Amino acid sequence: MSNDQGKPTRREAPAGLIQYSVENLVPFGPIHPALKEPEYFKLVLEGERIVEVIPRIGYVHRGLEKAAEMRPWMQNMYMFERTCGICSFVHSLCYGQAVEGLTLFQTPRRAKYIRLIIAELERIHSHLLWVGLMGHWAGFDTLFMWVWNDREVVLDIVEAISGNRVHKSMNAFCGVRRDMPENMEDRTVERMKYIADRARFYREIIDTEETMLERTEHAGNKVSQETVEKLCAVGPMARYVGLRNDVRLNDPYAAYDEVPFDIVTRNEGDVLALLRLRLDEMVVSANLVSYAVKHLPDGPFRVLIPPVIPAGEHSSHCEAPRGEIFYYVKSGGDRIPERVKSRQPTMANLPTALEILKGQTLADIPVVLTAIDPCFGCMDRMSFLDTETNKQWTWSGEQLRQYGIRYYFPERFKK
Amino acid sequence: MSEVFTQQIEQFAADAKAKTSQPRKGETFVEVDQAKVREFISRLVNEAHVVHLSTMTGLDLDQNLGIIYHFTYGPGWVQVKTFVPKTAPTTKSIVDIIPGAILYEMEIHDMFGVTFEGNPWIDKKLLLPDNWPADLPPPLLKTSKPADIRKRLQLEAPHK
Repeated sequence: MSNDQGKPTRREAPAGLIQYSVENLVPFGPIHPALKEPEYFKLVLEGERIVEVIPRIGYVHRGLEKAAEMRPWMQNMYMFERTCGICSFVHSLCYGQAVEGLTLFQTPRRAKYIRLIIAELERIHSHLLWVGLMGHWAGFDTLFMWVWNDREVVLDIVEAISGNRVHKSMNAFCGVRRDMPENMEDRTVERMKYIADRARFYREIIDTEETMLERTEHAGNKVSQETVEKLCAVGPMARYVGLRNDVRLNDPYAAYDEVPFDIVTRNEGDVLALLRLRLDEMVVSANLVSYAVKHLPDGPFRVLIPPVIPAGEHSSHCEAPRGEIFYYVKSGGDRIPERVKSRQPTMANLPTALEILKGQTLADIPVVLTAIDPCFGCMDRMSFLDTETNKQWTWSGEQLRQYGIRYYFPERFKK
Repeated sequence: MSEVFTQQIEQFAADAKAKTSQPRKGETFVEVDQAKVREFISRLVNEAHVVHLSTMTGLDLDQNLGIIYHFTYGPGWVQVKTFVPKTAPTTKSIVDIIPGAILYEMEIHDMFGVTFEGNPWIDKKLLLPDNWPADLPPPLLKTSKPADIRKRLQLEAPHK
């Protein structure tokens, strides 16, 4: 990230026109086959080599932080869950923990274990999705199809526990909304054993298969530990150069202080290292889920808290599949928050991504950019919303809430 | 380990004549004067080796704009809070101390209108659309209403 002072001013193309400037400024995005979500990178090239990358994000920005200042605390939890379509649970978990910190209520132990189980299942499903995409971009589509087939196994368990595949809607303040169903233990342990075996099998493929090795070994500009530390990278992007940066270990939340586990780190600092790291992490997560299901404590799973949160400010962070996610809440002692700040891992990893793109060829961008597991929708805080469905009727948010209350508490409306 | 850190940070705060408080265990809240925040963060990074900046939060307080730098080290937090007057929302950038702060500063510039002197990309837009009118107040200020923004940007309301 050098600054561009002292260089001649670039001639920017007027809107709607693509014009290659004297300095070979190449636009990459916002709509590009290698990007699943709209994002724009200005690339300064020297021949085929990338010299500098300037990001322009915000194409899917929907103003969730502003919207949060107009909604009650509990409704915000549903809204923040919809920040991302992959790691949805961890957003509501982190927001919930930040709000719980302002109250004097304690979360029951059983709820903490259920949170851990869902969070780890989500990590496995997110990593599987990413390994599939890596296979796709490296030109190894068989891997993509195998991996996404196995992802269904995880999604089935998530559906059996929470009733939903993607937006689990499990979190509440000081607890979870649904208890673990009965007789889930054997089924979950068996499936987790299968996932761990498959992860080891994929690890073997990646270590031996020429296609993957050629494409990913030494891919990405190698950066030192100090650089990554100063660029404030999080999650796998910090661990792949050997930093022991993991919120689960450093600042345990949910039930992570009661379960035995160790994090995975690597030292190579290339895309292959990220692949190996994430596959190894899946084995760790599968073991964690099995352990937590076997040692699930008895007791209540939720404490009901009043809708008014005491005044104060609190920060919370959690380890999402992509790295540390952060929520800050400020309450004025009212039914709605005064300020909610959320920061997603892709935002923290973007400066590092720009650094590892330098010196690479233009053709390497899909592989290297996918390697950071970008989630631009997350970063821009978008909620996916299709307003053009062919529905004959629409519900306002309040109508939907009333329907939810009637559905879950029918006894309140009996005459 | 954590207690040594806390003492060291309190020493830095005393040198910068800053107020410290510990709302909960492992969390140190420091309110530093705007002129001294750069020096304080520089000592935090170089002497105490607290290098991980989780993020920066902008706040709209009545007279001032608040900026919180959320630092984490292992199990603890150091939250550095500073205030910028709304009439002259300018402060010094910390990009040369922590390069990872570049996007967070750009975000606060977009959302609250705070200018960070020394940030090389501060004149570029990060999150706001290119056609954002210069005279429209930044969106996360309490005075800025979504209906006004929609009207000025000629966007239709999502629900009728």
